[in-house]
Amino acid sequence: MNRQLQLHKPILVRRENLLKGGQPLAFFVGLCAALLLGSFILLAAGDDPLEVYQRMLSASFGDLEAFSVTLNRAIPLALAGLAVALAATMGLWNIGAEGQILFGATTAAGIAQIAADWPAPLLIGAMIVGGAIGGAVWALGPATAKAHIGVNEIITTLMLNEIAIRLIRYLINGPWKDPEGFGFVQAPALPEQSSLPTLFERTHFGLLIAAVVLVGLGVMLSRSAWGYELRVAGSSGTTATYAGISLKRKVLTVLVLSGALAGLAGGIELTGNATRLTETVSNGYGYAGIIVAALALMRPSGVAAVAVLFGAVQVGGQSIKAIGVSDAVSTVLQALILFGVIAAGILIVYRIKFAELGNQ
Amino acid sequence: MDTAPLAVELKEIWKTFPGVVANAGTELRVKQGTVHAVLGENGAGKSTLMNVLAGVYRPEQGHVCLFGKRKVFNNPADALASGVGMVHQEFRLVPTFTVAENVVLGAANRLLNRVKVEQQVAELAARFSLAVDPKRHVWQLSMGERQRVEILKALWRDAEILILDEPTAVLTPKEADELGEVIQRMAQDGRSIIFISHKLHEVKQYCQEATVLRGGKTVANALGVSNLAANELAELMVGEPTQAANRPEPVKVGERLLSIDKLCTLDNRKLQALDSVSLSLSSGEIVGIAGISGNGQRELADTIAGLRGASSGVIKLFGKEITNATPGQRFKWGLSYIPEDRVGVGLAPQLNVTDNAILRSYRKHTRGPLIAKDRARAFCRAIVDRFKVKTGTLNQPIAGLSGGNLQRLLVGRELTSEPSVILASQPTRGLDIQGVKAIQELLINARNNGAGILMISEDLDELLAISDRIIVMHSGRIVAQQEGATANRGAIGLAMAGEAT
Repeated sequence: MNRQLQLHKPILVRRENLLKGGQPLAFFVGLCAALLLGSFILLAAGDDPLEVYQRMLSASFGDLEAFSVTLNRAIPLALAGLAVALAATMGLWNIGAEGQILFGATTAAGIAQIAADWPAPLLIGAMIVGGAIGGAVWALGPATAKAHIGVNEIITTLMLNEIAIRLIRYLINGPWKDPEGFGFVQAPALPEQSSLPTLFERTHFGLLIAAVVLVGLGVMLSRSAWGYELRVAGSSGTTATYAGISLKRKVLTVLVLSGALAGLAGGIELTGNATRLTETVSNGYGYAGIIVAALALMRPSGVAAVAVLFGAVQVGGQSIKAIGVSDAVSTVLQALILFGVIAAGILIVYRIKFAELGNQ
Repeated sequence: MDTAPLAVELKEIWKTFPGVVANAGTELRVKQGTVHAVLGENGAGKSTLMNVLAGVYRPEQGHVCLFGKRKVFNNPADALASGVGMVHQEFRLVPTFTVAENVVLGAANRLLNRVKVEQQVAELAARFSLAVDPKRHVWQLSMGERQRVEILKALWRDAEILILDEPTAVLTPKEADELGEVIQRMAQDGRSIIFISHKLHEVKQYCQEATVLRGGKTVANALGVSNLAANELAELMVGEPTQAANRPEPVKVGERLLSIDKLCTLDNRKLQALDSVSLSLSSGEIVGIAGISGNGQRELADTIAGLRGASSGVIKLFGKEITNATPGQRFKWGLSYIPEDRVGVGLAPQLNVTDNAILRSYRKHTRGPLIAKDRARAFCRAIVDRFKVKTGTLNQPIAGLSGGNLQRLLVGRELTSEPSVILASQPTRGLDIQGVKAIQELLINARNNGAGILMISEDLDELLAISDRIIVMHSGRIVAQQEGATANRGAIGLAMAGEAT
């Protein structure tokens, strides 16, 4: 008989329950690995890793002002992450948060043109609500197509991102071209009173809005009958039908609401951080939101913390350019950190087991 | 006396899985150049035995001989190298590859000349009348065509012995006839074909010999098919009753609850699954539906429950038409459903015990828009206590529950609403003896309290033990009907195999 050698090989085994407190741990492990790896790259590029890391830390968490900048970044990241995570509770992928942010901002800018003379609270309120509605409208097409004829929402939401960019280009080249732009192709400046008030240091009022939305939606998802139906439908569509839950309606509402969350981020960005509508107002937050949601394991409860850390990585990565780190190295470093954290995240869901390579 | 060595000889094969003895000293002898049927009910050990022959499993005892030589297979590739090819029930093809690419996949080490390979595959196909275009992509093919690709794969690798595992289950009748011809041609070519089926008419039509398995043992070894009557085969398959049935006392049959008239529906492949099925169910009776799996029982249950649309026909509950009602409405009007797929249909896999317990009634446990956790837990606790569900906390995911406890939770939830009609599909499958008894008692009690129960089962003993009436389904039709107390086992077995007169 040809008995095989007893070999051992590491394999990943799914944990029965997610590792408790695993996300902070994974973040830490992944961060350390990334910083270690990154220091070789920094050394090779002729930078001092310790100085660079110190700078990243102080620029994002160093003092209240630095932290307030990080928080500002975290607001759109959290809302976009929430948009993706909400869709994911139903097993849907909203890859179109970027476009929904853009169209939300476009809607808000349109409102600012029509209602330029409204008092500040009214105008800001209308712009932010308008942003959410714009995002919902941008998601309505993919949502309807998915719910009624099963068109893949990944493709439709993704393609609408490009359309949103081109819509803005058209607007600022044509109907919305700034008459006082001295020939520059740009949208007109927003009315002065449309700027979101500051909460503290550099953090604007959007933080409160995002916090209320996060907590409110979190409670609805985990405690309400509506959230219960979503969880059943996300767990098994057939079970939902069996229990008398309309899958079509759930798909439609979830995707539209997801779009509204991203659009809300667009409205807040426009009133909080921008002076006029540009095609870069979304700043990649819509795509970053997918990563935020993935790092939060698609659970809305984790989105806020991940968004703050993600914001810190972005702010820190920007800051080191000031001390001579090249743009490319800075980007590589940010990517490394994300890679490290995402890779380490595997260990929350799986554990490593050494398996005997035996005979079947 | 034929002295040529047998193409296949399986001697005293034993193979066990945790909790199940699949093969208990099973024997099989197949002559070269013949088509040999392997018959048996679900769970008789046919698939396991074939997987042993094809190198997928290694038997714990016994051995495999091909043409008189003893063989040990460590994996399917070993078996294939010795000339054993198997066409599984689920096809193993790459949908985005062409037919020719699938046929040669893994059997060629070097770069291939596409035109030449396609030509060779076409020649091979023509030799055995396997009508399939080598240039087409597999995703474009019908199930019958995909099966031909699987057969071509085995032939390409020079399989002398070809195992077809329930090959006609996925085919239309016309495709099945064509397959029959292909099989004959391969046998004439000197190859030996092992044909697994439940369908006696196919066995009579295509096969020369048959081996019958029951409970992992060979009960009839290489019988000549030509001088056997269909009912003899059916009796061998179904066997004798395992115990004297202790039947529950009948109760008074009351008003008609459910009536189904000329119901037709399609299966997932858009083929007809139900062909004009009519039946009725009254208060105080258990109507058992017998049949070999895949004869429309699943589709019947799903259509009555509202998970599958009817293509024609009428379903009435209390005389009111519900053919187009949603599953939720049907439940509200008194129809409970214990589905065959417990987790994934009746229970939501990732949710916890409480969330699953309130699946049918969560709208009643709300306070404003929120679910009242305390009331939901109390409701769940009541089910867990009354139906003796063994669980840790009520917050634990149902993945941690055993099959028996999952079923108690599901059955408990469905019975708690005191339904008038209970539709139970394979309610005891996979449970241990205690679990089977407990579920059967719950159903009998519900009947005694005036409910009507429609129970689908593959276990004929179970149906004979507790049904007041038995209906037999075959090919989507009702082919026989008997009173439970006086049911004739042999006649039912024959009807299950499609040989009813």
